Amino acid sequence: MGLIEKVIDWIDERAHVKDIYRTQMVEYKVPKNLTFPYVFGVLALVTFAIQIISGMVLILYYKPSIADAFDSATYTIMGEIPFGWLFRHIHAAGANFFMAIVYLHMFTGIYYNAYKRPRELVWIVGWLIYFVLILTALSGYLLPWGQLSYWGFIVTTEIPGSLADAPILRDIFKAIAETIVLWMKGGYIVTDVTLGRVFGSHVLIYPLILLALVGIHLYLVRAAGISNPEGIEYDKKKNPDKFVPFHPYVTLKEGAYVMWYLAVFFFFVFFHMGHFLPADNFEPANPLKTPPHIAPEWYLLGFYEVFRSIPSKFWGFVAFNALLIFLLILPLLDWSPLKSARRRPLFFVAFVVFMISSMVLTILGTMEPTPMNAKLGLIFSFLVFGFFLSLPIISFIEYGWYKAKGGKQQ
Amino acid sequence: MSAWDIIKTIIFGGSTLVFFFILWFYNPFKHVEHYEVDEEVKGIIANPWKKTESGKTIAEEGRELFIASCSSCHSLRYDGIYLMSVQSNPKWKNIEKSAGRPIYRHGVLYKDRFFVPKDVYEAFAYEDLQNLKAALGQVPPDLSATYLARGDGYLYQFILNPQKVLPGTSMPQIFNPQYDEQAKEKVAKIVAYMKSVNVPPPKEQVKRNVMGVLVIAYFIVMGLLLWKYRTNLLKRLGYY
Ligand code: HEC
Ligand code: HEM
Repeated sequence: MGLIEKVIDWIDERAHVKDIYRTQMVEYKVPKNLTFPYVFGVLALVTFAIQIISGMVLILYYKPSIADAFDSATYTIMGEIPFGWLFRHIHAAGANFFMAIVYLHMFTGIYYNAYKRPRELVWIVGWLIYFVLILTALSGYLLPWGQLSYWGFIVTTEIPGSLADAPILRDIFKAIAETIVLWMKGGYIVTDVTLGRVFGSHVLIYPLILLALVGIHLYLVRAAGISNPEGIEYDKKKNPDKFVPFHPYVTLKEGAYVMWYLAVFFFFVFFHMGHFLPADNFEPANPLKTPPHIAPEWYLLGFYEVFRSIPSKFWGFVAFNALLIFLLILPLLDWSPLKSARRRPLFFVAFVVFMISSMVLTILGTMEPTPMNAKLGLIFSFLVFGFFLSLPIISFIEYGWYKAKGGKQQ
Repeated sequence: MSAWDIIKTIIFGGSTLVFFFILWFYNPFKHVEHYEVDEEVKGIIANPWKKTESGKTIAEEGRELFIASCSSCHSLRYDGIYLMSVQSNPKWKNIEKSAGRPIYRHGVLYKDRFFVPKDVYEAFAYEDLQNLKAALGQVPPDLSATYLARGDGYLYQFILNPQKVLPGTSMPQIFNPQYDEQAKEKVAKIVAYMKSVNVPPPKEQVKRNVMGVLVIAYFIVMGLLLWKYRTNLLKRLGYY
């Protein structure tokens, strides 16, 4: 018996790790026909780990005060500390990859209707993760204290102020708007106090909430079982041929995908950081000098474009919040008994329209706000709303088919 | 894979790749200003660490030019350059020693240059900065990281002719090609110097590139090995 086995046996006698391994890895069965996009959940987990580890290094040198923040990031971390640049690159690229992977993960869930019974809780907790993740990204973006950080933060925190433009009950809405803005900004003006708050939230409060939510999310995925791309809920006992053991079948496959994902990730970290540490953010924050084009980061540009294409600020604000809420209540909107875009042609078309429109809105958000841009933004906003609002109708039609076939999934 | 599967892969995979290419590589819909460095001085900015006939590097010559022509208005704190009026104040030496630390950058220590925290410096230099503000309408910015924010082309064109790039600016034209034959060369040397403060030197850059290639190669190979191992294992277990 080799040394490694001896150590494992020693631990096993005390911690029963072999039981956990057997029941949770080998005897745990997942559908045999999982497709490539199912890997995005694991990639999100890997990216979360990357962010925590690189963040732990950055927090050793970062200084949360408006006098020192910019210098601690740009001078100390990028030049003085050995490999400081590497960890800053990893953390900045990781933030963007995290958002990208989580979007892909959400679109996968929508495509295969993984939010339907019995997985509604998985979806709702996932939505909470997404929401806290946006807050984490927004707060992290302020920390380097560059021009983009500062003005991006100002613009984003002032968006809820649009509530003050309400057509009715002006005074009440105005009071609500001012309260929200005050809360988000942490004061009437952005000072050390705000930076301290944002810093504390970014490095401790949000990550802890995320950690808890991710744990619950994973538990719920296990409890409900992974969905089947075919959209049929097979019984693990009755149809064992439809399932494979999680280990080694899935672990090794996704392990390989993780390796290739990291290869792509490190290509950006070493050779292509221009888009993740943008040049404009190497100009220290200057409250007296508003830069010409301020916009949120790319992962919010879709919502931002909806907001700014709608001529009324109030309705723009309502519209983009409605989108967030629609995402949350997707299991209610889409009540059809059928699952997976594979067996739902109407849903498939709606999904493609939704996906393309979201992408187009994001790209439009990177462009200057011309009247033409606003017109296009309005059209694609309608299409995105159309997707959510068509779901109950599609469900109604499908319910008819379902009944006509005698209530069977096939 | 059926034909329909291939079409779906192309729709979803293709649109995702195009989308991220636009966001993360090249966005043809976004308008950006371009400034070019003149052809004849491109070589100077390309490698600030090259030795010139004088035995100094281009960056060192640029630093001297910067101190002589720019430090009356601009500091460059990341390389220990403060306003001329501050640096000639005998008390400043004590501040540098007590509140600052020697400049250390990419593994090189500069014992005679000091990094002083911004608030300490601005408190000490308060009057000097206010005098500049009164004369110029604004405090001329510290130029520590300006290279990263603006890039070679912009800096070169701006320093050579500030009014052309930022009409109405109070920054004066220091080197005028009409009167000074070496104007372009001097400006290029200053830009090269500003670059040398913000960009890792060639040796360090080579190290980083090698490291990058090795890390990427490692993950690709590990992925392939895992894949191969899995195929063999599953064959043995009868899953294929
Ligand atoms: C008389 C004082 C003065 C001198 C000398 C001076 N500058 Fe400036 N400089 C300014 C002022 C004022 C500004 C702010 C201009 C503005 O934003 O309109 C400025 C701005 C700049 C900027 C920033 C431009 C931008 O787009 O943000 C750079 C770079 C710069 N100067 C470089 C230099 C260099 C290099 C020298 C030496 C060759 C120099 N300056 C000498 C006053 C000066
Ligand atoms: C920190 C971020 C997240 C992590 C680490 C994470 C992790 C995971 C993992 C490992 C799985 C199982 C594998 C898979 O199906 O891909 C999963 C499934 C799932 N996730 Fe997430 N997730 C995150 C965010 C989200 C978000 C933002 C949503 C949606 C709003 C979401 C919705 C779902 C759903 C619906 C499933 C079930 C998929 C199925 O059963 O087919 N997740 N998640």
